[in-house]
Amino acid sequence: MKFSPSLFDVTNLNFERHGNLVLKGATFQILPGEYCAIIGPNGGGKTTLVRLLLGLEKSTSGSIRLFGTPQNRFRAWNRIGYVPQRSALVDSTFPATVREVVGMGRYAVRGILGFESDDDKAAIHEAMELMGVSDLSERLIGNLSGGQRQRVMIARALASKPDVLIVDEPNTGVDVESQHRFYELLRTLNRTKKMSILFITHDIGVIAEDITRVLFVNQTLLVSQNPAEVVRCDEMSRLYGTPAHVVCHNH
Amino acid sequence: MMEMLSYPFMQRAFIAGLMIAVLASVGGSFIVLRRYSLLSETLAHVSLVGVSVGLLFGMSPLWMAVVASLIASWLIEYLRSVHGMYSDSVLAIFLSGSLALAIVIVSMAGSFNASLFSYLFGSILSVSTQDLWVMGIFGSLAMALLLAFFKELYFIAFDEDVARAGGIRVTMLNFMLVSVIAVIIALSIRVVGTLLIGALMVIPPVAAIRFGMGFYSTTLLSIAIALISVVIGLSASYLFSLPSGAAIVLCLLCIFIVALVVNRR
Repeated sequence: MKFSPSLFDVTNLNFERHGNLVLKGATFQILPGEYCAIIGPNGGGKTTLVRLLLGLEKSTSGSIRLFGTPQNRFRAWNRIGYVPQRSALVDSTFPATVREVVGMGRYAVRGILGFESDDDKAAIHEAMELMGVSDLSERLIGNLSGGQRQRVMIARALASKPDVLIVDEPNTGVDVESQHRFYELLRTLNRTKKMSILFITHDIGVIAEDITRVLFVNQTLLVSQNPAEVVRCDEMSRLYGTPAHVVCHNH
Repeated sequence: MMEMLSYPFMQRAFIAGLMIAVLASVGGSFIVLRRYSLLSETLAHVSLVGVSVGLLFGMSPLWMAVVASLIASWLIEYLRSVHGMYSDSVLAIFLSGSLALAIVIVSMAGSFNASLFSYLFGSILSVSTQDLWVMGIFGSLAMALLLAFFKELYFIAFDEDVARAGGIRVTMLNFMLVSVIAVIIALSIRVVGTLLIGALMVIPPVAAIRFGMGFYSTTLLSIAIALISVVIGLSASYLFSLPSGAAIVLCLLCIFIVALVVNRR
């Protein structure tokens, strides 16, 4: 029998900032191929949880294993693609072409002094094609619309050919049409390329049909493997502690 | 005009100036993109403390400048990255603090004011062969580090968090960058002086960015702007008996104004 380790294996994770408890006793696993939504109120610790997974914050206690390896010994960071919050909001004068930004996704793979190989070029080309930004290749990132920038940032994350894609509320400043394309893309990546997705969102109704697991984060963490149950209005109202009205829609 | 190149002091001046132009413009590209432009100005003032100490105690001012600016660069980066202090606040503290310290040291022994003057405004025409060797060795080392980590430093300048999440050793590279900048500044004070080195690091990339190109093209243009300014500035200095550092910076300013006018947005 082939052993397939969890992508993320988190045990009793605690995090305090300036003496304030942000996350308490989080325990969960994310398996290969899962599409997981991370939901919860603002300030509840969603982004902190993702930053802890990525090693951008140090936990107060608890353990994180990535692809079966303890986080402090994990080196294959290119296996995790990350699109942060407000990534589409970039400095309009920054001297970076679309091609250069997508190429950054290969930097960790190339290593020190590594020149761009044919593999790197192919991966960059494939990511740009997938996100439909090939025709913008030589445009400056600052001259693009919010939706175009969002696609470039996702292309950068995909260029490293990750096994899992983490996206943190990526639709800030993005038009509705681009949002729809984005949700379709996540579905395609998950279903046809078997890429695992971790998606922080407030709009769970849009992806209700796609997700296999929900992490509800509000200092403590609740895990549900039955998203349909979570999406129910009464359950959402209970979790958020305020009357919630959930609309499931096909984009 | 070509006769000036027949003089050994002018040959040394050109070699030193061109080396510093390349180093300062490449290093400056990263600090400008990280909104860290004041770092060069601050470390230049700190290096003045090193020069003052060197002159006071009869040690090499250049080496003391290197030591002072290296220590300050590490402290600045430590306060910024570990203690989370605002970059501009940390730089302002070091800038005024180091200037105050330098003034106190100078006032303790007023006999070396003439030597100090050459470090304030540069004295490229008195660069010795030994100075060239020091610049060549440490400049090559600094450039090798910048080139080896060029793409990583670019990624960090664009998005520090994503670079870190991608496995790039951001903290180590940030310390490396400020150390390289500190060495470049200490080497440059002989050429353009502590009061003018900031211009040689900041103006070329800022002018090049106005042309709206990608990073690699912008860096090359930045190098070209710095080289042109050094050549014109030194030539003007020779022909019209102008202070060399000031002539170079005025050339840079002219190119910056042209870049602004040509690329009005």
